[in-house]
Amino acid sequence: MTRRLLLLTAALLALALVLRPSAVTESPQGFAGLGAEAEGYAEAGPGQPLRFPDDHGPHPDYRIEWWYLTANLADEQGQPLGIQWTLFRQALAPPDASPVEPTRPWHSRQLWMAHAAVSRGERHLVEERFARGLTLPDAEARRAQAGAVAEPFAAWLDDWRLNSRVVDPAGDTFEQLEVSASGEDAGQPFGYRLTLTAEGPLVLHGEAGFSQKSADGQGSYYYSQPFWRVEGEVELDGETHRVSGRGWLDREWSSQLLGPTQQGWDWFSLHLDDGHRLMAFRLRGGGRDGDDYLSGSWIAPDGSLTPLSGDDLALIPQQTSSAAGREVPTRWRLQLPGQGLDLAVTARHPERWMETAFAYWEGEVVAVDHDSGERQGEGYLEMTGY
Amino acid sequence: MLELRRVTKSYATPQGPLRVLDGVDLSLAAGESLALMGESGSGKSTLLHLAAGLDLPDAGSIHVDGRPLADMNEAQRAALRRARLGLVFQQFHLVPSLSVADNLTLQARLAGRHDRTWCDTLLVRLGLAEMARRYPEQLSGGQQQRLAIGRALAVRPALLLADEPTGNLDESTADEVLALLLELVHDSGCALLMVTHSPRVAAPLNHCLTLAHGRLQGSTSGAP
Amino acid sequence: MIAAAAATLLSHYRRHPGQLVMLLLGLWVASALWSGVQAINASARDSYDRSAALFDAGLDRIERRDGAPLTLDTYLALRQAGVAVSPLIEGELALAGGERVTLLGIEPLTLPAASGIQASGGPDALGDFLQPPWRTRLAADTLAALDTARHGERLLDRNRQPLPPLALDASVPPGTLVTDIGVAGALLGMPDDAISRLLIAPGDPAELPAPLVRLHAEQLADPGQLSDSFHLNLTALGLLALVVGLFIVHAALSLTLEQRLGMLRTLRALGVPGTTLVALLTAELLVLGVVGALLGIVSGVWLAGQLLPDVAASLAALYSEQVGSELALPWHYWLGGLAITLGGLFSAGATTLWRAARLDVLALGQRQRWRGGLQRQLAIMAVVGAGLWLLALGLWLWLSGQPPGERLLAGFALVAIGLLAATLWLPPLLGLLLGWAVRGLRQRPLVQWALADLQLQLPRLQLAMMALLLALATNLGVGSMVGGFRLTFLDWLDQRLVAEAYVRPPTEQFEASVAWLEARDEVIDLLPTRRADATLRAAGVAAQPVGVYGITPAPRLTQHWPLLHTEQGVLEAWQAFTEGAALINEQLAIATGLGPGDRLTLSSAEGPLETAIAAVYPDYGNPRGEVTLTTTALAERFAAPPGSLGIVLAEGSDVAALGQALDRAIDLAGASLIDQQAMKQQAQAIFERTFAITRALTVLTLAVAGLALFTSLLAQGGERRAQLAPLWALGVTRGRLAGVSLVQLSLAALATALLAIPLGIALTWGLVAVINVAAFGWRLPLHVFPSQLLLALGLALAVAWLAALIPLWRLWRSRPRELLMEFSAS
Repeated sequence: MTRRLLLLTAALLALALVLRPSAVTESPQGFAGLGAEAEGYAEAGPGQPLRFPDDHGPHPDYRIEWWYLTANLADEQGQPLGIQWTLFRQALAPPDASPVEPTRPWHSRQLWMAHAAVSRGERHLVEERFARGLTLPDAEARRAQAGAVAEPFAAWLDDWRLNSRVVDPAGDTFEQLEVSASGEDAGQPFGYRLTLTAEGPLVLHGEAGFSQKSADGQGSYYYSQPFWRVEGEVELDGETHRVSGRGWLDREWSSQLLGPTQQGWDWFSLHLDDGHRLMAFRLRGGGRDGDDYLSGSWIAPDGSLTPLSGDDLALIPQQTSSAAGREVPTRWRLQLPGQGLDLAVTARHPERWMETAFAYWEGEVVAVDHDSGERQGEGYLEMTGY
Repeated sequence: MLELRRVTKSYATPQGPLRVLDGVDLSLAAGESLALMGESGSGKSTLLHLAAGLDLPDAGSIHVDGRPLADMNEAQRAALRRARLGLVFQQFHLVPSLSVADNLTLQARLAGRHDRTWCDTLLVRLGLAEMARRYPEQLSGGQQQRLAIGRALAVRPALLLADEPTGNLDESTADEVLALLLELVHDSGCALLMVTHSPRVAAPLNHCLTLAHGRLQGSTSGAP
Repeated sequence: MIAAAAATLLSHYRRHPGQLVMLLLGLWVASALWSGVQAINASARDSYDRSAALFDAGLDRIERRDGAPLTLDTYLALRQAGVAVSPLIEGELALAGGERVTLLGIEPLTLPAASGIQASGGPDALGDFLQPPWRTRLAADTLAALDTARHGERLLDRNRQPLPPLALDASVPPGTLVTDIGVAGALLGMPDDAISRLLIAPGDPAELPAPLVRLHAEQLADPGQLSDSFHLNLTALGLLALVVGLFIVHAALSLTLEQRLGMLRTLRALGVPGTTLVALLTAELLVLGVVGALLGIVSGVWLAGQLLPDVAASLAALYSEQVGSELALPWHYWLGGLAITLGGLFSAGATTLWRAARLDVLALGQRQRWRGGLQRQLAIMAVVGAGLWLLALGLWLWLSGQPPGERLLAGFALVAIGLLAATLWLPPLLGLLLGWAVRGLRQRPLVQWALADLQLQLPRLQLAMMALLLALATNLGVGSMVGGFRLTFLDWLDQRLVAEAYVRPPTEQFEASVAWLEARDEVIDLLPTRRADATLRAAGVAAQPVGVYGITPAPRLTQHWPLLHTEQGVLEAWQAFTEGAALINEQLAIATGLGPGDRLTLSSAEGPLETAIAAVYPDYGNPRGEVTLTTTALAERFAAPPGSLGIVLAEGSDVAALGQALDRAIDLAGASLIDQQAMKQQAQAIFERTFAITRALTVLTLAVAGLALFTSLLAQGGERRAQLAPLWALGVTRGRLAGVSLVQLSLAALATALLAIPLGIALTWGLVAVINVAAFGWRLPLHVFPSQLLLALGLALAVAWLAALIPLWRLWRSRPRELLMEFSAS
């Protein structure tokens, strides 16, 4: 699961370019140089078991990290609706690189960035925010403008929050969360306040949470909670909608970047109606010989996970649409021969382009059986580099 | 009045220097009139220009009113022209933005010799009295040339130099203008040197010389 | 056939290469003028952006009601509550050379866009800015002034400790350093969690918790709309400069086409169809126009970059591009440059191409009917001009019946029509004057001839003279507008900054500061101010939000604070004010119709306050309605926190010493004493650059007009000989003829300049009293500078003489032979 490594780094770099909008469209090669600077950071590798609840919190010794939530919801009339809440962290310098030991609270070694979005039909409202990490005593970490703490769990930037609702001090604070954000897109306000209840265990991708992304051993720590039951309210166009549905939270951290040959990626997270979950991605040009690199996880309703490699998985773009003036594939064929699955996955609406500092496509999809057209599930699709 | 001695003048041309005047001798007394004839390019106009001090000869001497032009500077020659010479050109050269009366008196006023009575007389005799307040472009060709003659005579010159004064006029107008010119010259007692290519025009003058190959030929025949 | 015809047409330039050069030069200068206009606008915009930043305008600020200092906690609590505030640390920093600069510590990730100080820079700039060793951003002029504090690539503070590495940033106000908030506090020796102020975008509707109060954008001295007005007027003048450019292009093109009419006639007679000729000429003009325009734009920008590095920098900042090297200017820049040339092509070409198309093959020379033709032409100009005057008058009458702030377009049209009318009247007026003089000057035959001859030249010279008229009027307009703006700006600074020094102590230190200052011998008076917001209610007026400003009516202030309208008199008005009456600004008076003697009610959280209006005062550039009361009233009735404190000092007092003493005595938390003189100087310095470029534009405009004149004079060289030769033959020396020609031209230029003076004043009036009122609802005072008028006369003469230099020299040096050619038979 490397796509968001790129996304995050690119976005944070793009942040530096906000005053030069023309530079935002720079190709990934433009920032590949950062790969060489990975020295000094902790490196992700296999054989290091994840520990909870600590790993819900930040890993400042690693260069990049995120808390990435998407949810497929429906209002009381059954109208589908999607939300996104994402918090990114990037270290500005390796842990020991700074010539000055941070002493003042304003001293910043971390940059934080958050995206919030609500989509419904052709409507797609997005806002992004930035914050500096502060140098505060651990006990005061929750005062910061942006950050995350493991226990009781909270991740936030300003008033955009994802935090635990569990009151029992002995309980697992990650079992029930609340997410809220409110923003404005071109003068149009939007927002949401949702409760997330875990209806299954955490799933660790790859080798017990180490997700290898290339043959030379690079990778990231990657786990998900794909079993959220979601309820709450979404505000859009001056109306409040009572909603419910299913959510997916990704947690990932690493210090390494992709090579310069990647042109972008396509990533799926699907809730199948039979209770299975599917994560699958394609790195375009990211394979060993310059071909595409495919990987994924097949998750049973009980949380047991089957890793998928390129041999087990096919992702075929079938139809493109115009979104914000770009041609992006909005109809895909997903084939998992081992699971007997052949899905047609279609975007609910092509206009899901995120006009953020680093622009990408993120939106809801519906999965049907490729042959019969029978509905199989729903989920989210993210595409970059178009 | 006008005395040319061994006057030589050459012009540079692409084919080498062209000798237009080659030792010309000429003299003209007060009250006399002389027609200078010759083919196109024979040097008639050049001779006239030299006589007016508009140009200087390569060799030889020119005396106007008894004074040698060679000893004068440009300002002195200009003063001489202003006060003692009258010039009439084929193209009239009137000032379009001055009235007929102002054109007529221009040289006289420039020379500081404006004689109002004489000018009024001239206007009447030239048949322009009715048109004194008009502008040159409102006159016919003959009237314009009469005005040019008037301008030259208004200063009461000692020597009138005319270069094809009727060249731009039809025959009957030309005759009429010429007759008037000679009459006025006669009455004012000034000498007249007129360049023309027409024997008809030359006929009434005292003398007639022909310029060919840089030299003057012919006699002083003509009217008394 | 087409090739042969084209070759024949172009052979004209082989015969007269000077004309081709002149034409291209004309096109070049005209489009270079456009570049100059762009440069001045860019520079002016930059100037007021910077001056706005200097006065810290644009953002609202948040303070605690109880006056306690703001801290990191307040900031974090607000952010977590979703209020988009940004922290700022501000203080005075002493440098190694004894210089004192303002140090701003900003938080670039949250700073609202309207701050005027941008987190600008390249891809790595933000990372460098946020992290050790950080960066010190400053403008080039600030750096130049801090030479003694500079050591290599660093500035040193007074303890000779290096500041963060330098990064040049043209958007930083003069005398100001900008660093990350993470390092600014340490440099200023402030507590770890100190914040000088919290900023919020003015439009942000966020609600604040009860202990906090929001103060609207600081208006101690915000040029605000005054600058917008300046910019608008510069734009109008820029358009005018464009028209001057069009004139020269027109003149240059008319010339080359005119001179080839004979050739065109021959070609027609030889069987070339009129359409082919027109097409060939059109193609030629297009090629020349595009080449000339591109040449002009490219070299104009290059030249601007060479002569005025500031301009290049501001252009670069404006268009986010490397102007000099890339020339990636926005489309309207190129389009504007092309439009000048092609517009000139169209106007010059239309008449000449039309003539070429319907050429009378048998027509002889066209000089016979000179007088009648000119009279007809002048009559048409006079009639059309008169029609335009009537139109302008009608428009003005209509405009004066319109509400202020409306009909900007009509205002522009009025000014443009007036100018056009005046320009059209120039040749008939000159013709009239000359005709009259010619008849009256019989006793001076040479002078009479000279004037009569000038009349003859009028058809040739009129276009150049019209260009000169426009150029001079523009020159005067720019001069008095910019000068007047500067005076207004300074007057207004005087009104708002009457005391020798200002300080804005933290609220909790306010009383202590006042007590300390009052105890000082050199302090004569203190002029505290306060600000609040309220809702205005009055009879016949819709309730509306207004700013409430508290001032202290001490003699020093009342002497400098102008009042426009009072009920009984200025003294009485101030007396009433002291007793509780209100003053309102001109904007509010115009918008509501309220005036002296009316009553108004101000409602705020503290309850309503009813009072009478004592007077109306001018408030240039303030977009808001404002009611002014005494500071005491603001403190008591609006619970307004203390604002800045004006300190009136005895003559000869040392402001800097007082500031240092105050600093030692009281913890001002980074606030410091502002020297009013220094502040005014800074404000002026910013505008000096704009004035410099204004002068450059003026020179360029005049150069264009001079070139037009020069081209016209050269063009009629041949004709002139035909006019001068007979006079020479009649006994006027060449030297005198040259002298007479110079006098002729001087007279024409002087007459033009004399006409340009009232026109320039009228233009300025149109800008400040019509366009400004139409755009903003208030007038700028009209200033006329006699020295500028004299200068305009001198410049007109200089331009005429320079333009005449070569033609006259040629006449003077001409050999008699050349003049004699005029007399050769037929």
